[in-house]
Formats: sequence, structure tokens, C-alpha cells
Amino acid sequence: MFKKLLNVVLVVLAGGLILSACQPVATPAPVAATQALKIEPTLAPGSVQLVAQGATFPLPVYDVWTKSYQFVDPAVNLTYAGTGSGAGKKAIVDGTVDFAGSDSVLKDEYKTVPDLQMLPTLAGAVVPIFNLQSTEKDANGNAVAITALVLDRQTLADIYQAKITKWNDPSITKLNPTLVGKLSDATITVVHRADSSGTTEIFTKALASFSADWLAKVGAGASTVEWPVDKNGNGIGGKGNPGVAVAVQNTTNSIGYVELAYAISNKIPFAKLINKAGKAVTADADSLASAMGDFANAFDDRLNATIVDGSGAGSWPISGYTYLIVRTQSMKDCVKAQKVVEYIKWTLTDTRAGKIASDLGYSLLPQAVLDKVMGKLNAITCNGAVVSK
Amino acid sequence: MFTPQKGLDRWISKLTQHGDRPWNYLLLFISSLIILLIISICFLLWRDSALARTELGWNFLSPTLDANWNPQNGNMQAWPFIYGTLITALIAFIIAFPISIGISIFLAEISPDWLRHPLSWMIELLAAIPSVVYGIWGIFVFLPQVVTPIGNFLAGTLGKIPILQSLFIGPIPESGLSRLAAGLILAIMIIPTIAAVSRDVFLAIPKAQREASFALGATQWETIWKVLIPYGSSGILGASILGLGRALGETMAVTMVIGNSLEGSASLLRPGYSMASLIANQFQDTVSTLHSDALIEIALILFLVTLLLNLIARLLVWQTSRKFLKG
Repeated sequence: MFKKLLNVVLVVLAGGLILSACQPVATPAPVAATQALKIEPTLAPGSVQLVAQGATFPLPVYDVWTKSYQFVDPAVNLTYAGTGSGAGKKAIVDGTVDFAGSDSVLKDEYKTVPDLQMLPTLAGAVVPIFNLQSTEKDANGNAVAITALVLDRQTLADIYQAKITKWNDPSITKLNPTLVGKLSDATITVVHRADSSGTTEIFTKALASFSADWLAKVGAGASTVEWPVDKNGNGIGGKGNPGVAVAVQNTTNSIGYVELAYAISNKIPFAKLINKAGKAVTADADSLASAMGDFANAFDDRLNATIVDGSGAGSWPISGYTYLIVRTQSMKDCVKAQKVVEYIKWTLTDTRAGKIASDLGYSLLPQAVLDKVMGKLNAITCNGAVVSK
Repeated sequence: MFTPQKGLDRWISKLTQHGDRPWNYLLLFISSLIILLIISICFLLWRDSALARTELGWNFLSPTLDANWNPQNGNMQAWPFIYGTLITALIAFIIAFPISIGISIFLAEISPDWLRHPLSWMIELLAAIPSVVYGIWGIFVFLPQVVTPIGNFLAGTLGKIPILQSLFIGPIPESGLSRLAAGLILAIMIIPTIAAVSRDVFLAIPKAQREASFALGATQWETIWKVLIPYGSSGILGASILGLGRALGETMAVTMVIGNSLEGSASLLRPGYSMASLIANQFQDTVSTLHSDALIEIALILFLVTLLLNLIARLLVWQTSRKFLKG
């Protein structure tokens, strides 16, 4: 009896393993090195250990990239730990990692390590998700879910600032003529991230740009802020994207925010926003590309750039770059330095790497930005010699 | 018997025969490591929170629920988190204690043999479930289907009584995310701990105690109530301390169900925040040095609160066992 049970368990486990192994993105076929890369054939497989940690916002992509890369260059054994941007920045300053990931820009870190360089790798969008029921019932008397909603920048900031607390507020009905009379006067439950995160940083940066009052009272964007809705009594904090999504789905008349990638893969409806140019846009690869295009010349020498609230007609206003941080001169091990540069170039230029990212809802860099990043990569030196070949 | 002789014999035996002494010293050394560990944790938390203690001062601890936690402008106060931790642990303990004692009495005294073993096994299994599993089950099943109806009921009844109003003012969020939810989940989590340990306490009571009680004509109920529970009281208190400790320090499950909101009210039906979940949420990516130091000070407070409650419980154990021996 027990043995039989054990067999069943084993079969189920094995089945699960096979299924998970069959997911298309998880196991890319072994491929020869692309032309852009010159891989040293002499190094033994797994002989170069690269360690990285940091931002969790791009983690879904980075996970697949690091796993796939061992087929591109078997010599490299790369791990990326999603520990948060702050921990990543600290690690690259302390020198415990070969490169770091971050959603937020560097500030005081340059004083200790002047040769740190930020490299944008991807752009992602944050979207407002909602759970709304129409006050009109269908023929069977069941409540009807509202699946399309338009908000403008000021309205979104006002909802998160508890200035708008009812769904039938005139400023919302004005934007949604088809929903007039269907929106209830229930209090809006406003869900935010409880854990500090790059998603929150992008979202609050956008709110600070949308509303002068938000900027004055709450401050510029940060990974953790004090939410005015909490004080008002209609705010709730969820842990991680799943925590926010569940809180929204379990609460009618609620609103929250998650990464676009998470909303897409879990089929959660999200609101359109009216951007700075006054056009209603939805978050997708095009509107993200447009946002990046608006700020193509906004990079400083460290390649820091904020891409929230772009002025283009098609730009999604709540967008952000995620960065890798490298040391441009002070890497000690030149083999590692070369492998880091090769890896980052692969993620930026390889078509398969690009497809992995865009399938997951992230946007690739436009050519103008890509050229800037490649320029920085090509200038990286180790012991005075240029690393890139 | 061999007795050591002069010369070489004696020298060898002196070298090798030390009785129990080295062994005792070794054990003393190992045990004192524990004390060293506690002192070093306390010292580190104290040292690393220096900035927060000097910058924020006593205002950090001022007992107001209408408090701020704004890491960006450095205006932070700890009271809502202290309150959240204490109130959720208290709800959990009040609910879990009688149920666990009931379970342990049933298992030790009343249950037929064929039921005792599977039931004991299940309870130990419950104690071994990771807290994140309780959290997931909580947000998907327990909260919307159990906590929200209970919360609505409480808001409609106790929430109308003037004195209790501040604790039971509604409405509870439809998702159920609230201090009450955290308390109930914690109660479920600590029941197996308290029940399993108190069952062992009851089983360890000598049979003569029961037989003497029955011989005096006591019923089973009277034996349990007047003989076994007083006899095992110090052990039961020990079990309760274990349970309370788990409730105070539980992080993951609480974070997932408490709502993580800095709301001003004291109500159990509203979302709240606990010290452990604040640290878990924010420590990985802090806005400033003051922010991380303030979180370390919160950890220090949590440490001291746990220590204090343990001390109080120790005193209680000492008191009751003395009273029992006298009476």
C-alpha cells in the first residue's frame, strides 16, 4: 500500500519535472556563439564563476538569460540573485559581485567607487490593475465586471493620495463616458506594494511627475514611501506582485499596480492612461518604445535617465529602465572582466536574448540608447588594457 | 582495584584520569556560548541602531497609532508596529490557549487508543507546515471565506457597543486582510505547538496522581480540573511561552495577511502592520542609512519585547509552582 503510494508520488514528481523542463523559454537549444561574440575555446566548461545580484524587477528575464547563457558560453557559470536594488548597489561597492542589477540610480556610491557605470538593459512598464463591478446587473441578476477603464495622470495620483475615494467621482466618470451610472459609490480600496521594490520606485516617480501636490507631500519616487491612502484608511499593502494582485482580485472596487509582465502573464486587466500629450494609451512594447524614444537624449554620462511621463503621443507614462552596474576600470580579474562584457553584449544584441525579454513583456533598448551602452562597454578596461575585442 | 603507583604509572594516570571534570567544562563552555550569542545579538542591534536612537530619540517610541513612517524625510515612529505585533499575538494566544489545552487533555486522558496516535501525528504535522503555506492558504481561502464573514459579524455586533467600538469598528476589507486575520492565522499556527507540548506534560504526570484522585471519589472531570491541570501548570505555561514566542516572531504568514497598512485606528478589523513584517518588507532595500538603522531599532524592540514576555512568563511559572507546592 505504502509502496504503491510512493510510486504514485514519484511518477507525479517526475511528470512535473518533465513538464517544467518542456517550457519553451526555459531550455533554449544549444547554439553556437553569435558573430558578435568571440568566445575563448580554451577555457574549461564552468571555469569562470560570475556572481551578480540586485534588482528584482527584471528578475523574470535575468533568470532565463543566465540559464540560457551557459549554452552560449559553456565556460561561464553565472548566477544572479534577486536581492533588491539596494543590496545590489551595496554589493558592487563592496566588490562582492562582478556586476549588479538596480532599478534606482546611484548617488553617494560614486564617492567610494568612482568608476561605477550604469548600463540600461531593458525597460519595463508598471500598470494600474483594477477590480470593478458595474452597479447594473445582467439578465440573471449577477454583477457584471468592468473590464475597460481609462484614467488620467492627475486622477491616478489623486486616487493614491486619497483625494478621490469613490469610483463615481466626477473626474473618473468624465473620462469614462460609457461607464456613467455604472460606477458604484463604494470606497476605492487602494492596494500598494508593502515590500520595497523597483516597481514602487517607478510608480511613485511617475505619480510625483503627475501631481505637484504628490511631489510636495510624499516626495519624489522611492522604493518605499509613506502612502497617504494608508492614513486615510483605504490603503492595503501586498507583498510582491502576487500579493498586490490577490488583494485586488479579492476586493471589489479596488485598484493596485503591478509590473506589465506580471499582469500579462496572469491575464489581469489594466487601465489605459491619458498621457502628457493627452492621448489614451495602453501599456505595451510600442508605448514603452515611445517612452524610451522621448528620453533618448536625456542620458547623463553615467547613463542615468528617467523615462516616466514622456511627452510623446504614444508614450506610456509609468515606465522605467532597469540597469546593470559594472566597474569600468577597477575589475581585477581580466578573464572575468571580459566575460562580464561578453555577457552584457549578448543580452543586448542577441536576437534570442531579445525575444526572451519581449515575450515576458519587457522592451528592448532603441538603437540610439543601445549605441550609447555599447560605447560604454567597449571602453571598459582591466589593468589599463581595453577588455572588449 | 588498580591504584596508581609511584613513578611512571602515576604520571600516566595523572595525565589521563581526570574524572568528569574536562567533560563538565566542555559542557559549561557549550552552554555559555548560548549566553554569549544572546548578548552579542543584543549588543549588535544596540550598536547598529545608534543613528536612529540619536536622531529619532524617544519620539520613535511615543505611543500614538496616528504615527508616521516616512523613510524619505526621516520621520519614523514605531508604535503602530509594536501594537500590531502585540495585538495579533494576543488574539492568537487567547484563541489558541483553551483549544490547545482541550486537545491535549483529550489526547492524554480521554481519547481511545486507536484515535490517539493518528490524531497526535496530525497535530505534529500541522506544527511542521512552513508558515508561507499558511499565508497562501490564508489569502486565497481562509481570509475571503472565513475571516471576512466573521469580521462583518463582529463589526455589526461588538462594533456597536460603545466601549468595544474602538477595537471592533468596521468595515473589514472584503479581501479580509486585517489584524484579525493575522491573529486567527497565528492561532492556527500555534495550536499544534501548545497542544503537542502540553499533551506530553499530561502524559508525564504519574499514574498515582490520577488513581489517588479517583480513589477519593472524584469524577474524571474533577481529576483533570483539580489534579492534573494544577500538577502540570508549569509545563503548560512553558508550552504557552513557546506558542507565544512563535506568534510574536512570525513574519511571512503575518506579512501576507495583515494588510501592511499604517492605518490610524486600533480596530482589529482594519489592516495593520507588525514589527517582523516591517523588517522583512523594507530591510532588503532601504532608502537611507537612517531608514535601515530605524529598522534595526525595531528589531531591537522586538527582541526586548520577546525577552520581557518570556521573563514575565518565567515569573508566572515560578509563582504557580510555588503556590502548588505550598497548597
